[in-house]
Amino acid sequence: MSFLTLTHVNKFFGDAPAVEDFNLSAEQGEFVSFLGPSGCGKTTTLRMIAGFELPTSGTITIAGQDLTYVPPNKRNVGMVFQSYALFPNMTIADNIGYGLKVAGKNHLEINERVDEMLNLIHLENFRERYPYQLSGGQQQRVALVRALAIRPQILLLDEPLSALDAKIRVELRQEIRRIQQQLGITTIYVTHDQEEALSLSDRIVVMSQGRMEQVGTPSEIYSYPETEFVARFVGQINLLPVDVINPPEGLVKVGRQSVRTSRALNRADGGHTIRLAIRPEELNPGFLEGANNLTGTVQSITYLGSIIRVRVDIEGQPISMDMFNERKLKMPVVGDQFPVNFDADACWLI
Amino acid sequence: MKLPRFNFWGLFWGTLALLYFFVPMYGTLDFSLRMQKGLISLRAYQIVLADPQFVESFLYSVTMGVITVIVSILIFMPTTYWIYLKLPKLRPLVEIITILPFIIPVIVYVFGLIRTFSRPPFLLTLSPLGTDFLIAGGYVILSMPYMFRAIDVGMRAIDVRTLTEASQSLGGNWLQTLVNVILPNLRVALLSGSLITFATVIGELILADFLFRPAFGPYMTSIGTTKAYEPAALTIMSFALTWICLGIIQLISRGDTSQQLTGR
Repeated sequence: MSFLTLTHVNKFFGDAPAVEDFNLSAEQGEFVSFLGPSGCGKTTTLRMIAGFELPTSGTITIAGQDLTYVPPNKRNVGMVFQSYALFPNMTIADNIGYGLKVAGKNHLEINERVDEMLNLIHLENFRERYPYQLSGGQQQRVALVRALAIRPQILLLDEPLSALDAKIRVELRQEIRRIQQQLGITTIYVTHDQEEALSLSDRIVVMSQGRMEQVGTPSEIYSYPETEFVARFVGQINLLPVDVINPPEGLVKVGRQSVRTSRALNRADGGHTIRLAIRPEELNPGFLEGANNLTGTVQSITYLGSIIRVRVDIEGQPISMDMFNERKLKMPVVGDQFPVNFDADACWLI
Repeated sequence: MKLPRFNFWGLFWGTLALLYFFVPMYGTLDFSLRMQKGLISLRAYQIVLADPQFVESFLYSVTMGVITVIVSILIFMPTTYWIYLKLPKLRPLVEIITILPFIIPVIVYVFGLIRTFSRPPFLLTLSPLGTDFLIAGGYVILSMPYMFRAIDVGMRAIDVRTLTEASQSLGGNWLQTLVNVILPNLRVALLSGSLITFATVIGELILADFLFRPAFGPYMTSIGTTKAYEPAALTIMSFALTWICLGIIQLISRGDTSQQLTGR
């Protein structure tokens, strides 16, 4: 039986839907990310799990107990906020021990747990400091263990790394994953950063306009997006309008050039225009016998550090190709005729 | 390195403002020290401090000031907190309500109070205690703009909603959240509001005068109509009291600002 279950959860603010028919089952110890752009309903869903918002309809259960209308302080759900939300009047030790203090635990027990939590984030020497004496990354670490100190059933993280700089973000996300796996706590993580979601999660829920677009493992979401929104939102994607020529053989045409996909198409699509999806890193320079080949004119070349992105115009359709920036790489020139090839397995139709 | 430009007009207007403020005050101080002919002395201050009416009126106003501060905090702190959390759309309306004491003349307000509370069912003006209740209520209303704004500014400086949610997610109930998290972070704001409220009550004249209570404001006025040097001494003492209040605010809030602002 699932540990956290959201069943047909809806949330309306007035007449405006914020979350529509949200269904999710998360297992004990699973790390699930809600990924989507601003205003897609991911934070609202998280806040409903925390109890800060009440669903308009639907149920939320944790460990088989219906908590839909239980107040937040009675849910035993730990939450980490984007803005850290450490109590400025309290020392780091008092912040971490706050949940235990309001639960009526004795000093000895609180002190032990605070030490344990500080060890977990390697901030043992910061016990008596105040939040303003810590860096952003350290404050967020404290916020994380403060939420964990109460031994919550579920850990909720609301864009916890958004306020931090890029380097700290990468470090801290690895630390979050390490601690989550060490404690085996069911975790819901809200983010708009696809890299964070892909690197941290067991499963990702991609959301758009209050609805679930797709639920799957990071590789399913990246490699097999089910909708155009997911394909565009997660990673870079080329979407080329194609005419379906032979559905059973998966044969389509980009302009006058043929492409074969490894998947058979729906017969009803025959003669219609649909979209061919292919990631830039799946494209290779040059002509290759037996593969799909497209030829176009080089439009632009963009230097992205470890990657060079070449934009090629294929009969009026721009397509991006990523190449590793190797020393021996022979760079194309803007305006050149440039063939690209790709496997039939590497593309799919949306 | 770029040298700061000499701002002639800034200096001119600043000096003018300082003179406008300090020259009359210096005149009052000087006058208050010249009660004895040809001598600089504290005689006027000695007379004022020895006057039993001064002690009575001052203690009365101090008591009223303390009561007003306590009642104001008990009313405005939870109200403002609730508005921030649950009814943010009401905030503009509450802001307008809180500035009403600036718009409605106190005299109009006093007559309204007397008319309402001098007849059944609210007969408060018949006894001194009843009148004291009435006057304390009146002071709460008069000091409302200061107390509300002080708390409002304090709540803006900390992220009240997120701190509340953080406390709740850790198991804190409303009271625990208010006492352990919100109140300590509003310490400076509450102190500012309290001291300004206190200073307002100490100097208030019309309400106490029309309700015939022995407050400090009416005492200063009565002295001013019958004596010469003592009112000047009282004025300086009132100033000193207000400045001490402001000094305490500065002293307590010093070094706390950065701590409060990182509560976000």
